[in-house]
Amino acid sequence: MEFDLFLRYGPALLTGFGVTILCWLVGSFGGLVLGFVLACLYRYGPAPLRWVIYAYVEVIRGTPFMIQLFILYYGGPHFGLLLSPIQAGILSFIVYGSPYFSEIFRSGFNAVPHGQVEAARCVGLSEGRILRRIILPQMLVPITAPLTNFFIILTKETAILSVVTVPELLYETQTMAAETFTFVEPFLVLSLFYWLMVIGTSWVGAKAEARVTRHLRKA
Amino acid sequence: MNFSFDVIWHNLPYMLAAARWTLLISLGGMAISLVWGVFVCAARISSGAVLSRLAALYISFFRGVPLLVQLLLFYYMLPYVGLDLPAIAAAILAVGLCSAAYSAEILRGALQTIPRGQTEAADALGIPTFSLWRRILIPQAIRIGLPSLVNELILLVKVSSLASVVGIGELTRISQNITGETYRPLEIYVAAAVIYFLINLVISLLGRLAEKRLQVA
Amino acid sequence: MDETPKDQPIIRISGLCKYFDDFEALRDITLDVNRSEVLCLIGPSGSGKSTLLRCLNFLEAYDGGEVYLEGDLIGWRSAREAPRRPLSSEKLRRQRQHIGMVFQQFNLWPHMTALENVAEALMHVKGLSKSEATTKARAALAKVNLSDKEKNYPANLSGGQQQRVAIARAIAMEPSVMLFDEPTSALDPELVGEVLSVMKEMANEGMTMVVVTHEMGFAAHVADRVAFLEEGRLVACSPPSEIFGREPDDPRVRAFLKTYRERNVV
Repeated sequence: MEFDLFLRYGPALLTGFGVTILCWLVGSFGGLVLGFVLACLYRYGPAPLRWVIYAYVEVIRGTPFMIQLFILYYGGPHFGLLLSPIQAGILSFIVYGSPYFSEIFRSGFNAVPHGQVEAARCVGLSEGRILRRIILPQMLVPITAPLTNFFIILTKETAILSVVTVPELLYETQTMAAETFTFVEPFLVLSLFYWLMVIGTSWVGAKAEARVTRHLRKA
Repeated sequence: MNFSFDVIWHNLPYMLAAARWTLLISLGGMAISLVWGVFVCAARISSGAVLSRLAALYISFFRGVPLLVQLLLFYYMLPYVGLDLPAIAAAILAVGLCSAAYSAEILRGALQTIPRGQTEAADALGIPTFSLWRRILIPQAIRIGLPSLVNELILLVKVSSLASVVGIGELTRISQNITGETYRPLEIYVAAAVIYFLINLVISLLGRLAEKRLQVA
Repeated sequence: MDETPKDQPIIRISGLCKYFDDFEALRDITLDVNRSEVLCLIGPSGSGKSTLLRCLNFLEAYDGGEVYLEGDLIGWRSAREAPRRPLSSEKLRRQRQHIGMVFQQFNLWPHMTALENVAEALMHVKGLSKSEATTKARAALAKVNLSDKEKNYPANLSGGQQQRVAIARAIAMEPSVMLFDEPTSALDPELVGEVLSVMKEMANEGMTMVVVTHEMGFAAHVADRVAFLEEGRLVACSPPSEIFGREPDDPRVRAFLKTYRERNVV
């Protein structure tokens, strides 16, 4: 292994890793927020809106991320949406993740016993307050693990952004491989970086899970 | 903005022809995934510590590295080690080997729900291990895991689009080519999305039908 | 809410009907509850006693008839409209503050401590400050003899303790009436007593209570009147001495209590 290669390409790889993290974090959290809004609208909204959300969820989940990315990046200008690769990448990431997040939140809503909500209504708590103080903290218990899991899945989907020339980790790795005719080293580093992201996310997820379930521990 | 259905109409035959490659990759990948997944699963839950560790390593590698990276590695690495497979075979193999990691875990989860008493009953009757797996455990595991396996197939239809990156003329790649000629990305990619969606719709409907069929009354 | 004169019933139920699709759960129930009275609802399972209770705070929207609490129609804007329109959620919330409810399954919020469970509505419905709410919540917990458990989460309380916290949560709001929906049915037999004694104490202090129960001993000794329901109809409503007397007048009450005695009396 030639380590001076890493001196030369290290900065580019690190920048690529930074771009990967940026797209992943902004895209995932954007998708999380949008997914939560969708799940709430689905739960509290009128029937026609529910149908629209249902169709949105099915269509986005039924089509490849790469096609969604192409529609936004290449098709965008045709309806006046001119995006840089990174912008298109992040936006399509938000769109792609939102239905999965919304389904996770929906299952969370269903997991909260109805009696708890009734008890809250009986003492006169408002619906907004019930959502924030009674339903949300409790639905976090069953959904923290699937949320963590989906964040981990999304770390890997960032690689697809390289196809529209987002200068992320895989893109920089491929550049290095092509320019130096090396193969093993760049992809080893790449695997290490993804592994770091997965390990880090699992760690945060485990911490979060301990936090949201602390009331269930027997004293 | 004007959305031209003509462009779609003219190019639809090419896209549908390309969709056959999409199907080939995903169905071929699924076949490898199921067969290989059974072995990985068996290794994972076997009593041999080394074998079980190896299977766990296999699963965590294929689930931990982006599929696109795996695909590129396969595509560039196989010739490197002297295996000259056609691109499509490399793609099916890559997709199948990766998916096998997930199938193995689905089957493992399903196996855990089969009561231990069944294995004990088979042991008591003197049924050999191989028959136990082939006749008793695997059929049940597939039935229990069917919804997840159908999901996995739908996932494979979607990830088959990654094969476009190594130049295989499946639906996404052909859509890119057509876009290059017509400069109508919006129409073409929306049409491609619709085709993918319809394929997955059919798969999930068939899956639900199969679930009903396999249900024990 | 205007104070009704002391001799007027605090709850007036007249002609109450409730359907679940085609099933007639309650048919033409007319019943008053007086101030400081303890009314027990008894009857076979599926007779509609829980449904009746849940209509009183509009957890079930009743279809016909009227329920008044201190002169206020519960749940609907007007009894004369057709179709009826429910009150705004704001107004309904205001009505429910005057009606405390205790559930069979306790329905404590598991992510809050005992104290937080009680203080939540004091802060966010009554608008008390945190320290005021805490003081009041502690007082309520003291009433149910749980001062030493205020920091416990429900997972670390016994069923009887959980139910007492649930009672504290309701009485902390200083309701005009308390509804109990089979408060001891989910409890292990040895824990029933502690909950019943808290309820008895409340009755002695003059709380108006409507109690759905299978505890015939409680009904016989604590209730002022006992209402017997069967198949959604009010069959009898009399002082316990008449219901539990040697030979109740109504043959259906007689049959119900007979099987009851055979099962429970040693």
